[in-house]
Amino acid sequence: MITIPYLTALTTYFSYGLLFAFGQFRDFFRKIFDWWRVNNLQGYAPICLGLEDFYTRRLYLRIQDCFGRPIASAPDAWFDVVERYSNDYNKTLKRTKNKSRCLNLGSYNYLGFAASDEYCTPRVIKSLKRFSPSTCSARVDGGTTTLHTELEESVANFVRKPSAIVLGMGYVTNSAILPVLIGKGGLIISDSLNHNSIVNGARGSGATVRVFQHNTPLHLEKVLREQIAEGQPRTHRPWKKIIVIVEGIYSMEGELCKLPEIVAICKKYKAYVYLDEAHSIGAVGKSGRGVCELLGVDTADVDIMMGTFTKSFGSCGGYIAGSKELIQYLKYSCPAHLYATSISPPAAQQIISAIKVILGEDGTSRGAEKLAQIRENSNFFRSELQKMGFEVLGDNDSPVMPIMLYNPAKIPAFSRGCLMQKVAVVTVAFPATPLLLARARICISAAHTKEDLVKALEVISEVGDLVGIKYFPAEPAKLEQQKMIKMD
Amino acid sequence: MYVRAVPPTDLNRNTEWFTYPGVWTTYILIVFFSWLVVLSVFNCSPGMAWTIVHLSHFLVTYHCFHWKKGTPFADDQGIYNRLTWWEQIDNGKQLTRNRKFLTVVPVVLYLIASHTTDYQHPMLFLNTVAVFVLVVAKFPHMHKVRLFGINADL
Repeated sequence: MITIPYLTALTTYFSYGLLFAFGQFRDFFRKIFDWWRVNNLQGYAPICLGLEDFYTRRLYLRIQDCFGRPIASAPDAWFDVVERYSNDYNKTLKRTKNKSRCLNLGSYNYLGFAASDEYCTPRVIKSLKRFSPSTCSARVDGGTTTLHTELEESVANFVRKPSAIVLGMGYVTNSAILPVLIGKGGLIISDSLNHNSIVNGARGSGATVRVFQHNTPLHLEKVLREQIAEGQPRTHRPWKKIIVIVEGIYSMEGELCKLPEIVAICKKYKAYVYLDEAHSIGAVGKSGRGVCELLGVDTADVDIMMGTFTKSFGSCGGYIAGSKELIQYLKYSCPAHLYATSISPPAAQQIISAIKVILGEDGTSRGAEKLAQIRENSNFFRSELQKMGFEVLGDNDSPVMPIMLYNPAKIPAFSRGCLMQKVAVVTVAFPATPLLLARARICISAAHTKEDLVKALEVISEVGDLVGIKYFPAEPAKLEQQKMIKMD
Repeated sequence: MYVRAVPPTDLNRNTEWFTYPGVWTTYILIVFFSWLVVLSVFNCSPGMAWTIVHLSHFLVTYHCFHWKKGTPFADDQGIYNRLTWWEQIDNGKQLTRNRKFLTVVPVVLYLIASHTTDYQHPMLFLNTVAVFVLVVAKFPHMHKVRLFGINADL
């Protein structure tokens, strides 16, 4: 639950209103100028209809230097950020040859596999020499190597499901699988804060889409009852299939899903559960098996488990795990499996090796150490930030922590302030988040040491004071009180 | 001091910001402050200032709510391209609290403006035309209606 100070809400609306009004003025004058200038595109239709690109041109481009920063090294705990400058108020940005070494608080590098790893990298290089960087073919033609079958078995074993299918890209896993699973006459009930890939897949499937209030099982039950009673729109026939889509960890909130209650409700009303574990697989749970293990839900109750390898495994691609019949059906009909190029062999080898390290099958206990490290790091960081007075979202044990900024002017201020002090953070604004609730999202990694986190806390505290985002009263430190008594 | 912000179930990013707490207060405060600004800049009587605020409020809200169609970003692939902001709000449901509030505001402004100008001509005529157009545009029966093809799609 997000608590906003009332005055901040008023000032945020006012700032956005001002930015919007300025944007409209500039557009109006731009229209007048363009009417005067000779137009050599007679007869061509405009690329953008109406005010489709208004937000991009008038709001996003003003602070463009805070987004899309190019990096010049592997996204480990410390990395090189390329410096950029602009001569026309951020409309175009030019890269310089200078790099600055910054602390990385933005990459989804939960277990530290993003940089060179002592177990994974030699094996990846060996498979690169043996199999070449790309299979140059779809899975059904010539793109299935021994690595691919080993990977699917290993993923199914890791997630504790009978079988799995692996696709080359995480976003495509959602947007190409949902249209295959459900079509017209079906119902998709998705959480209101689901990722864009799920929204795209749901829209592309042709099924009716309904949304329930974020992480509220009671509202899900209400929507389910209403929809089952009404049936399909206009004909009122019963639905062919109902799928409820939730995510393990929501990437913008850092919250865990209330999985036990949701699974209980879906069992009661006989709806299928689709769990998207993009951020939680490998990062939470005692042995890294995701949110089912953490919350004690039996994996046989979740019908379709989806995840990506980009976050905790340091690779690319996505998987779907389910029953043998489901995966067999997907292999016959999913276009991403039949026509898209299969996952690159070195990437597949990286995933296999990463899973071995996490489970401890490489002979060392590095996997367990990494999992313990990330849990300790996230809990320490979150509690320290909350003590300083920031508004931090997310549950305990979740490595994603958004710090609320709210005002649109604080977004570039916070981002640039932190970059000047060599800490790279990711700030997110509208339309990825609701209009009022702009935030800076911090992703903790197992590769961060305690000194890194302490330095990050100092920098964030200083910049936070300057920008004014400590919305809650800070807890006074006990040491300071003792010092004051001593001075008296 | 603090308010809770519950994420709404509206998928349309263009209109869901209107369901958060503090919007109504901000709207009323902006109107009030613009009255103060008009009074200080033009050095006219309070009644004239209210008339100017009412008429400019009419122009701004008519343009933003009932003329401009679509959304200011391309993420939603143009599914709202034929709908004005008023038709998009609350997912097209009529007679919700937000819609009732937005219908009452121009009427209240009209009453204040005509009272403070003592119902003189020509201000009364202009104010009446403005409030008539605004209130008729917000009727539930006018949902997706384009009179005489004005502002219809290509």
